[in-house]
Amino acid sequence: MDLKFSAAEEAYRLRCREWIAANAHHAAAVAKAADPVQAARDWQRRLWEAGYVGLAWPKAYGGQDATLTQQVIVSEEMARAKLPPLINTIGLSILGPTLVLHGTEAQRRRFLPRILSGEELWCQGFSEPGAGSDLASLTTRAVLEGDDFVVTGQKLWTSLGPIADWCFLLVRTDPSAPKREGISYLLCRMDTPGISVRPLRNAGGGVHFSEVFFDSVRIPREHLVGELHGGWKIARSTLDHERSGLSGVISLEGSLERLWRQAAAGGEIADAVARQQAAQYWIELEGLRYLGFRALSDQLAGRQPGASASVGKLFAAKLRQKIARAALDNAGPYACLTKKSPHVVGKGRLVAGYFDSLGYSIGGGTSEIMHNVIAERVLGLPRSSGEA
Amino acid sequence: MDFELGEELVALRDIARDLLAQRWKAESARRALDAPPSRMPGELWAELAEMGWFGAGCSEAGGGSGLGVIAAALLAEEAGRALLPGAMTSTLAGAVALDRNGGAALKAELLPQIIAGSLPVTLAVEEPNGTWGPDSVEVAAQAGAGGLKLSGRKIFVADGSSAGLFLVAARVGDDVRLLPVEAGAGGVEVVPMQRIDAQDIVELRLDGVQVGVERMLPDAGAAHDAYAVWTVLVAADLLGSAGAALAMTTAYAKERVQFGRPIGSFQAVSHRLADVQVNVEIGRSLLYAACLALDERRGDAGALVAAAKAFIGETAVDAAEAAVQLHGGIGYTWELDVHLHLRRARANAVTAGDAGWHRETVARHMAHCYA
Ligand SMILES: Cc1cc2nc3c(=O)[nH]c(=O)nc-3n(C[C@H](O)[C@H](O)[C@H](O)COP(=O)(O)OP(=O)(O)OC[C@H]3O[C@@H](n4cnc5c(N)ncnc54)[C@H](O)[C@@H]3O)c2cc1C
Repeated sequence: MDLKFSAAEEAYRLRCREWIAANAHHAAAVAKAADPVQAARDWQRRLWEAGYVGLAWPKAYGGQDATLTQQVIVSEEMARAKLPPLINTIGLSILGPTLVLHGTEAQRRRFLPRILSGEELWCQGFSEPGAGSDLASLTTRAVLEGDDFVVTGQKLWTSLGPIADWCFLLVRTDPSAPKREGISYLLCRMDTPGISVRPLRNAGGGVHFSEVFFDSVRIPREHLVGELHGGWKIARSTLDHERSGLSGVISLEGSLERLWRQAAAGGEIADAVARQQAAQYWIELEGLRYLGFRALSDQLAGRQPGASASVGKLFAAKLRQKIARAALDNAGPYACLTKKSPHVVGKGRLVAGYFDSLGYSIGGGTSEIMHNVIAERVLGLPRSSGEA
Repeated sequence: MDFELGEELVALRDIARDLLAQRWKAESARRALDAPPSRMPGELWAELAEMGWFGAGCSEAGGGSGLGVIAAALLAEEAGRALLPGAMTSTLAGAVALDRNGGAALKAELLPQIIAGSLPVTLAVEEPNGTWGPDSVEVAAQAGAGGLKLSGRKIFVADGSSAGLFLVAARVGDDVRLLPVEAGAGGVEVVPMQRIDAQDIVELRLDGVQVGVERMLPDAGAAHDAYAVWTVLVAADLLGSAGAALAMTTAYAKERVQFGRPIGSFQAVSHRLADVQVNVEIGRSLLYAACLALDERRGDAGALVAAAKAFIGETAVDAAEAAVQLHGGIGYTWELDVHLHLRRARANAVTAGDAGWHRETVARHMAHCYA
């Protein structure tokens, strides 16, 4: 057990740092590009071609088979350079690991490299109007007709729906079975006839998620992941992956540093309450970082994230909200001005960050559900109700 | 880089957990509350020495396991879980302090005795000046013909009645240094402080105690380093206590039925326990990181030690308070072990620095990083 970096690993870090220094201007250009989505895809491809995307994935599918240390180094260097998150995060962090585990060889070869390169952007079609926390009660139907599934129903809160090329979705294939035993896991092109997407504006004002309607959409049988009616088990492993990982720490580091600098510039840091609060956030962030290291070590040893991923997800959502709220508090009334105000501080980023933070305890399973999962699957307490 | 407990560490932890559960009953900790202080039975002490535990945190050259501070921390965690008298943890800290910072002659003389169990040792740092740590030490050693002369008071000295050797922090010139003082030396007096968890905490009165200059730990940073090691072991003890309180309460919540259901199926109960579980896991991550940072003498070691102590101290108190509440009336009785953990957690949370004091260390680290 050690936290050391060997000479070879330090050399790897140096190469990574130099590469980022030489290429970061492409990332910075994304937001200003005429077609930001295309620019973000191009940035991801550039990063992947340099070997910095899909570190934990097998080489055979375009990954790097990297060690824990390499993963840590790359994430530290990206944080250091303040690089933005990759556009295909849903494909990278959620679907990819699921296909590595449960996909057929043909599916892995077909989909994984294109997730890594950003050539195919993914969205997640799990939630429905009647099935949120109680995901297993979903009603989108799929009927097998010859070699195709024919899908009819509605998905809701689909992040990146308006720009995605593909969707992984849960459908009901056996309405007569108990609710968790009649669900299948499908992959679907977003331009298939019968699909319509309606963008939804979120509370912060941006367009992030959407409604996706399926009207007799034909999906070839080869795009079934796992067994017919066997989708629930796979969905659960997908959700565990969604809730695990180091990625949250990077953006939290940036938020905490901004909070500290803002409070230092404004003089609040001389005040014990503000200083103690910021220190507590640093402590919690380090706790989250090393919890992530433990989880990654576990995964490299061949164990899957499991319910313990909920521990980090729950803690990170709360920490993100505390930091975002403290940043607003420190800025006083100026924090509540819109971007258009001549008096606005931080170009309105504080408010945007605050609204953004509130979504983290809802998306990917609510914090209440995370508590249920930890109570029931980690502590073994009796079921209350809902997912566990 | 590797952040998983290796096989040897896992084995050490598991053996410690089993052995302490067999050899030390919470009942003894409860009895000590009426007949203080709580001391380690001689037989058990000898058995721990036999297992080689007192050298767990020492290097192989120093006669120890070579597994690092983390090994000492895993033992301290099990001590906290089992409500064991503190002497093992104090001796672990003293042994590691000597091993890391002692001169060759002093190490050769003392470490074999400590590891063999014949010389229990403890740190004496705090003074009655309202704060913590080596930086606030005022007791100053006067240089004279016979070497250094120590006078003054040290308080909250852990396991002082049974210690054979005190590592006393004192000002020598501009630095705060560690000086070994034998319990039997002239001018040494030990006065019990009577803590709420019946641990053997004493005031150490020093009246013209003589220490040879050559016995002073040579490294100018020794006092700070020893204090950091001690801090991390107290944090480990707290983590063990939190784990025990959580386990007891989880077991009770599965059994106790009200309104026709186990109380653990009520979310007001299960969610509070889930929060404790989250904090225990975050605390454990901080503890391991702090131990490795000490072993590797990393620049952020001080901040990580402070982080671990601050976070785990609050976690342990929360866990014990949740245990009292979620057991209901029985949780409020003398007979149940819950209050034993509350006492230990409350007392250790303010041992080796409280959370607010450690957060100031973290804030200084942040100011440095974000300068
Ligand atoms: C920013 C964002 C992005 C999202 N992106 C996606 C996406 O890409 N794809 C996708 O499929 N979904 C997505 N979602 C949807 C998200 O997964 C659901 O919103 C979430 O699972 C909650 O479902 P719901 O909205 O139906 O709320 P409900 O399930 O109706 O919950 C309402 C409230 O009741 C509480 N509650 C419900 N059941 C219990 C229980 N058993 N015990 C205690 N409390 C309970 C909840 O915690 C919540 O506070 C996203 C959501 C957000 C906010």
